[in-house]
Amino acid sequence: MGDDNVNLPPGFRFYPTDQELVVHFLYRKAARLPCHPDFIPDLNMDKFDPWDLEGKALAGDNQWYFFSRRSESHTSPSGYWKSMGADEPVSCDNNLVGVKKSLVFHIGEHPVGTKTNWVMDEYHLLEGATSSRSSRRGGTRKSASREWVLCRVYDRSNGGGDSGGFYDDGAELSCLDEVFLSLDDLDEISLPN
Amino acid sequence: MSSLSVNGQARVPPGFRFHPTEEELLNYYLRKKVACEKIDLDVIRDVDLNKLEPWDIQEKCRIGSTPQNDWYFFSHKDKKYPTGTRTNRATAAGFWKATGRDKVIYTNFKRIGMRKTLVFYKGRAPHGQKSDWIMHEYRLEDHSADQINSQSNIGAAGGVESAQEDGWVVCRVFKKKNHHKAIDSPNNSSSVTSGDVMNGGAGQMVQYSSTSNGGDGALDQILQYMGRTCKQEKEPSSNKGLRFDGREMLADTSTTTAHERFMQLPPLESPCSTVVVPPAGSIQHGGRYAAPDHVQIGHYSENINIINPLSIPYGSDDQAAGTHHQHHLHHHHLGDWATLDRLVASHLNGGEEAAETSKQLASCFNGDPSFSSFCSAASDSEIPFPSHLIRSSINNHNDELADLWTFARPASSSSDHFPSCTTQTPLPN
Repeated sequence: MGDDNVNLPPGFRFYPTDQELVVHFLYRKAARLPCHPDFIPDLNMDKFDPWDLEGKALAGDNQWYFFSRRSESHTSPSGYWKSMGADEPVSCDNNLVGVKKSLVFHIGEHPVGTKTNWVMDEYHLLEGATSSRSSRRGGTRKSASREWVLCRVYDRSNGGGDSGGFYDDGAELSCLDEVFLSLDDLDEISLPN
Repeated sequence: MSSLSVNGQARVPPGFRFHPTEEELLNYYLRKKVACEKIDLDVIRDVDLNKLEPWDIQEKCRIGSTPQNDWYFFSHKDKKYPTGTRTNRATAAGFWKATGRDKVIYTNFKRIGMRKTLVFYKGRAPHGQKSDWIMHEYRLEDHSADQINSQSNIGAAGGVESAQEDGWVVCRVFKKKNHHKAIDSPNNSSSVTSGDVMNGGAGQMVQYSSTSNGGDGALDQILQYMGRTCKQEKEPSSNKGLRFDGREMLADTSTTTAHERFMQLPPLESPCSTVVVPPAGSIQHGGRYAAPDHVQIGHYSENINIINPLSIPYGSDDQAAGTHHQHHLHHHHLGDWATLDRLVASHLNGGEEAAETSKQLASCFNGDPSFSSFCSAASDSEIPFPSHLIRSSINNHNDELADLWTFARPASSSSDHFPSCTTQTPLPN
């Protein structure tokens, strides 16, 4: 999936920002607007364990993306998702458009499961965010905007996550480069020869 | 294929970034460029590096309307002097200066090119002011950089280099983030234990482990950096080639100005005490971790050897080797860093002693081809490099580097050289 669907030359990867996820994808999904290219699949998050997403969700650099109906239970066949930390606002041009909730996967029975490295970022639209448009399309207004969430799942021990893929592979200085860089500073302190 | 038909203008669907791997940059983009083949979507533009300031690159090399953290362009290397091989990378406002050592880029164990790291300095050399703008300049494979294995080829290599010198390169420019400083600042470091790094600090973990681009031993690189005299792109200034000649390392550890990590040096202690591993150091090269919070120095060599199967072939001799290593740690009690400083200073100032160290050092490395370049560099230097000191300090404080030290060790039988080297070296108390 992913790069194959959209015919881009080598080097293009799906690294959406929070804002893009909410505005370009979740908003259009909830508002039933056409989404081009439409490559993020719908899954029922309650039916899949995180390690089963491969091949089903949109894969992008150790991360998996999918739409899901909002789940109240946040359970899966092998465990449950437990929220972690505070919700993070997602803004666009200084307007609050959504929130990002982070959850950690626990294996076993709620609430005594074992914590794993699987993390899910669950993007929600703010209530009413799509109401003006979808109201014209029928009575699904509020429920539509609240019904869908966009999920990004990754294994944080595997280099996924926010600070993952974007900066690795040489796009950031390695520690060693930093050391060399520092040595260059000393270089400029001219030593008597 | 939906909305992506392109007529000159790159149209990238939302969420997609141009973030090529090094392999893609070299094997797809640069190869096509050199072969004058057409590249779909004109994503990488030609840029005259001498006419473009780094802060203008973002505008010039924008891809679509998506936010970018790095920018790409092709550049044609322009010679500084008609007869020389050096590249002119000066702009109106400053210049790009190479740092570190060129990195070999591999794909499936096959080398496909080289990466040079450059920093932009505002102003004119040698009084430029360092900026946060970094450039990775990729060139297609040239065999000349393989100086370590084939020192005798250096003469020939120079020819290859000059032949390649005025070719196309593909560059990635980005602005250095200062997160290392933020994380390593004294205030933070005390609260961030390695355990935190493992459990909660995924972000930090990624940053540090990103250096672990397998097989590219950091220490190996440092050693080669020391032996930079045989680097293909020679700098004319006299002290350039050997900036790692001991003095600067001394400055590094004692003044703690260089790298923030050195600020967290724990006390040099006797082996029975435990040492808190600084958070950054707790990340092992290759993304593995050391024991979470505390590391017994005495166990250290075991750690190292486990992590690095290449270092010493295990067998009945290994115990001996391990014991040697421990001896080194046990016998040289350095009370604190002040002592270490004095010690280094005595080596640096006392000519005779220094010369002796140099000889010992040289004898340690003799017979080990992989170190010959370093040795020649060391013996040429005015001031020998007190490697045992650096080594002991590195061992204690920086798992990553220590780990790599073992990586740089002779992979074959000469594993005894190191311990004997360090035990012979006179150490005042």
